[in-house]
Amino acid sequence: MSSDNPYIPMPVEIIKIIDEVDTHDIKTFRFTFLNKADEKKFKYLPGQFAELSIYGKGESPIGIASSPTEQGYVEFTVQRAGAIVPGLVTAALHDMDEGAKIGLRGPLGNSWPIEFLEKKNIVVVGGGFAFTTLRSLINYMLYKDNRSRFGDITVIYGARTPGLLLYKDELAAWEKRDDIKTIITVDKGDENWKGREGFVPAVCKDAAPSPKNTVAVICGPPVMIKFTLPVFFELGFSKENILTSLEMRMKCGIGKCGRCNVGYKYVCSDGPVFSLAELEELPRDF
Amino acid sequence: MKKTAVQKISDLAAQLMQKGTLIAPVREDAGFNFREISDAGQVDLNFYNTLMSPKSAFFPHMEDFVRYQTGKSVLDAVPVEISIKPAFLFGVRPCDVKSFEIMDIHFSGTGAVDPYWQKRREATTIFGYAFDLNTPADGADFYATLGIGAADPEGSDVFMMKKGDELLLKAVTKKGEKLLAEMSGLTDASPEDQKYFDETVATGRSFKTRLTCVEAKSIAKKFEDLFHKTPFWERISDACLSCGICTFVCPTCYCFDICDETLFGQGTRRRVWDACMFTDFTLEASGHNPRTKVYQRLRQKVCHKYSYHVRKYGVISCVGCGRCTRACPVNIDIFSIVDQAMKE
Repeated sequence: MSSDNPYIPMPVEIIKIIDEVDTHDIKTFRFTFLNKADEKKFKYLPGQFAELSIYGKGESPIGIASSPTEQGYVEFTVQRAGAIVPGLVTAALHDMDEGAKIGLRGPLGNSWPIEFLEKKNIVVVGGGFAFTTLRSLINYMLYKDNRSRFGDITVIYGARTPGLLLYKDELAAWEKRDDIKTIITVDKGDENWKGREGFVPAVCKDAAPSPKNTVAVICGPPVMIKFTLPVFFELGFSKENILTSLEMRMKCGIGKCGRCNVGYKYVCSDGPVFSLAELEELPRDF
Repeated sequence: MKKTAVQKISDLAAQLMQKGTLIAPVREDAGFNFREISDAGQVDLNFYNTLMSPKSAFFPHMEDFVRYQTGKSVLDAVPVEISIKPAFLFGVRPCDVKSFEIMDIHFSGTGAVDPYWQKRREATTIFGYAFDLNTPADGADFYATLGIGAADPEGSDVFMMKKGDELLLKAVTKKGEKLLAEMSGLTDASPEDQKYFDETVATGRSFKTRLTCVEAKSIAKKFEDLFHKTPFWERISDACLSCGICTFVCPTCYCFDICDETLFGQGTRRRVWDACMFTDFTLEASGHNPRTKVYQRLRQKVCHKYSYHVRKYGVISCVGCGRCTRACPVNIDIFSIVDQAMKE
């Protein structure tokens, strides 16, 4: 394998598959590198992504869900696409078993700005399936050697139903810790749900995090973002202190193929993480 | 500086073919195009400009990355070796030579390096070729407006121009100098030839194409302001068929797709040219598509070249070669769009 050619994927093996949701269309895939040299080279930070590459099908850009503090593997939480557009890669991946080998290109893109986040309070707001790189960030910050670098950590995470919450075991573990405040909500609970009900924007409003020395990291479906942003403006968060991760169709992932171009930025290489202040500089073309 | 008789161009071509791959203009049914030369007699310098741009010498229409067999392990896939045979790109007009510099910034000068572009660029010697200053520029051309002279030698390794029945060849770079020194059959140019060459280069700088002056910074800002004026974009894109020919003939369009093609158990991962003019270019797996309308896509193309690229890389991503205007089936003219934008 050519190591200096960014278009050639590295071989990886699926060592674990976790069925995340009760609709069974979102799974977390844990990969290990088949070449040790590739593993060494794959140095990433929370917020970055990689191209999952299956010969004969294609490539899909997916956010990295594991934290770089976890050694020996890398995880991606992947939804089976195909309700509207056929998702060749994600469908093929979902049909694979542990032990299957595929390709991986990355890490790609910028990351959550770790240095900027240091010494600040962090409010993480996630909705539905868009929680993957937020989970990477949370686990990174909670890592024993890292925790003291950050101030208070608050997580507000919502899904439509209890069965659609990702990383249920981790959420439960975070709720037990006293160095992170975890607020989980669902749009509509079921008979077993004892937690909170309500939409993410309303829950944010109730929680009312102070904007003082605080950064809000927000990822979710467009409708959640649309109603959550005004809440944070009202609370007094500046546009520089609200961060999000943008999606755009991608191919190369290294700022060459032109596909994810929005204004003077390539989402893949200049992003995917942008502050709201940066996004407002771009034309509304995404 | 060296020279040869225009009639003896095939001698020169034959020598270059001994040294590597020769890519030169060839007369075809529809017009001229750059092709890999198999017979030295094919090289024909009696052209205005080629239909397709010479970018394919470095960025071919299709580029195979990896070959594999379907059903076999990813470990059995074989990356396609990047060919680095020396090549000679012969007879490139100054505006097209300029396009290589603009593409260099994108492919190898900023961020990740595209190994295919970079290796081919390094292995290729460029023979630039002055426009004929005695013939008026084609009505579609506007390279002079963008500050490119009709006989600018910059960017070429060897720069060529006709002087009557003779072809003058001047080494511009060390690479070009070394090559010319190795060629036989060329004679030394006279001081008079040198004077003619210098004068032509100077005259080429005031050679007229369409008359409007475009300043990169101000046009970039203008398009940023115009982005939200939907009626403007709807009007200029009214006839657009979204066929994408403007991007395929363009020397500075670089968008590509990466796709897998399989047939009878054999598979290839390759890149192919793609275009922002196509509706599924930005179609996401979720079904979301930010550019479903023709005006949004034409706006993307124009703003990318004249605004986004300027802000990102400092240069307009257009060399005024006129190919998109000549090729457009409904006579959309990018320069006219720029002109109308400036008047908005």
